[in-house]
Amino acid sequence: MRRILLLMTSNTYRARAFLAAAESLGVAVVVGTDKAQVLAAANPAGNLTLDFHVPERGAERVLAYAREHPIAAVVAADDEGVLLAAYVSAALGLASSPVEAIAAARNKRLGRERHAAAGLKVPRYWTAAVAEDARELARRVRYPCVLKPLALSASRGVIRANDEDEFRAAHRRLLAILAERELAKLPGTLASEILIESFIPGFEVSLEGLMSEGRLRVLALFDKPDPLDGPFFEETIYVTPSRHGAEVVAAIAATTQDAVAALGLTHGPIHAELRVNAAGVWPLEIAPRSIGGLCARSLLFTSSAGDALVSLEELILRQALGEDVSGYARERRPSGVMMIPIPRAGLLAEVKGLDAAAEVPGVDDLSITVPRGQRLVPLPEGSRYLGFIFAHAETAAEVEAALRRAHANLEIVISPDPEVAGPAPC
Amino acid sequence: MITLTASAREKMAEFLATEEPGQAIRIAIAGRMKGAFEYDIAMVAEDERADDDTVIDAGAFKVYIDARSAPNLKGATVDYLESGNEAGFKLDNPNPLWSDPVALAVQKVLDEEVNPGVASHGGVVTLLDVQADTVYVALGGGCQGCGMASVTLKQGIEASIKKSVPSIAKVLDTTDHATGSNPYYQPSKGGASPFDA
Repeated sequence: MRRILLLMTSNTYRARAFLAAAESLGVAVVVGTDKAQVLAAANPAGNLTLDFHVPERGAERVLAYAREHPIAAVVAADDEGVLLAAYVSAALGLASSPVEAIAAARNKRLGRERHAAAGLKVPRYWTAAVAEDARELARRVRYPCVLKPLALSASRGVIRANDEDEFRAAHRRLLAILAERELAKLPGTLASEILIESFIPGFEVSLEGLMSEGRLRVLALFDKPDPLDGPFFEETIYVTPSRHGAEVVAAIAATTQDAVAALGLTHGPIHAELRVNAAGVWPLEIAPRSIGGLCARSLLFTSSAGDALVSLEELILRQALGEDVSGYARERRPSGVMMIPIPRAGLLAEVKGLDAAAEVPGVDDLSITVPRGQRLVPLPEGSRYLGFIFAHAETAAEVEAALRRAHANLEIVISPDPEVAGPAPC
Repeated sequence: MITLTASAREKMAEFLATEEPGQAIRIAIAGRMKGAFEYDIAMVAEDERADDDTVIDAGAFKVYIDARSAPNLKGATVDYLESGNEAGFKLDNPNPLWSDPVALAVQKVLDEEVNPGVASHGGVVTLLDVQADTVYVALGGGCQGCGMASVTLKQGIEASIKKSVPSIAKVLDTTDHATGSNPYYQPSKGGASPFDA
């Protein structure tokens, strides 16, 4: 039986989906995680504890394991595992984007440099060490600007500033995030530098694709109908297919192909965030992984033979195992997901209206992913989704409407958090 | 089969009197949690009787017991007790939690290998049922809602059970993870683990 190495952090949202996909394909699995799993000793062939922050060391451990247990494919579920996956794949001779390309995609500064060199639209940007004086930086940049960490995803730490005062406040908040214990372990300058770039007005889209031999195949293009103008950039609704015109859609796909090529990415899943305005298409982030959270549940695919629907995770595993997946396409019906916004900080007491939300026509499922009593932290500091709503309908507009109606039924009851005095100023 | 005490019989008749005629009582083993049977006692329409149900004539009404529950209810006594502010049916059941040798073997794996392991994360795994080659479990404590629950299930619990009980093909998790209040690993967008914070 072929064996696949699934790399995932212990706080991943994706474990269940990838394990289900592997089971569906009938392949053996070894799970590589950043922390020891509780029953690992009972099944040492099925569990590996690996150093994600020093991928060379993690790769050595996998290679030693692979001598006894051959590995046919390596897939990283999350951002944190993509570099290790590339190291392991290179060492084992498995199809993968080059390590250097993955490293560039993980670092927003390197990404901007590569894209600018390739002639793509790149916001004016500055990088700064976290130790640099915020007042000096605030005088140097142009406004409005956006401060970003080099490596985090899902809008964590991303803050817009319209003037020097807002810049200094945003700078304080971003540095506090980068000082968190786990983030301080990020390799290279990922936790010791920040990116500052001009705010690009326009609408935003998200593209899900698969790379093979350097060619990008678009699996889905999501519209983000809620404006993302700051000061924080909380993702909410994703709906596919896009309702933008064919010309715009084609330009987005072409820009994404150019952007992945500029980074040197050649193989595997791609999750891209792009902004579009009258000047053209601006690649904001190209991640060598699939869409995060539980959002992939909104995507189902069918083969050209019209077989049963398969998940995005299954499609990724099939490709990793060497199968030609070019015959798979997203199902015909429009679909979407809403990442339920966190209305304010506090402790989650209750979510009311779940049954009513689930009964909204078009809603497939609703999942609250923060347990009762747990802390809710909004962006830019927050690192967790409150939950997800999934919908299908006959049109993209109906999908969006179903998601909004379902969300309107929810009452998020939040009690004060005794350990938090109040929101930080911005 | 089972015995209904006079007070249980009287209370069931009282409940049935509030409903339309043609109702019966169904008693079933709903599951096994924390080393004990869980029971389900409900009013059902008489025509919901299955062919293989055991039927007990209680005089004014009938009691149905499904075929899967019947062996585990043999010799049980159903009583109705009222004490202070509490009232309810109570079953005195002499049957062992598991009699099927496969279920016993699975329970042994959970008791000796799995639960001592997950206890280090504040977790507990309860065997709910074994049907043919499939084991049904519920994950509690630190395992309920844990981001790694699927890994624990597939790469730990299932692997351990399959190794010791080769007739088992799969282990299914029936846990409502959304109601977990203290999961060990909590999903996050990446970077910092809130658990470590």
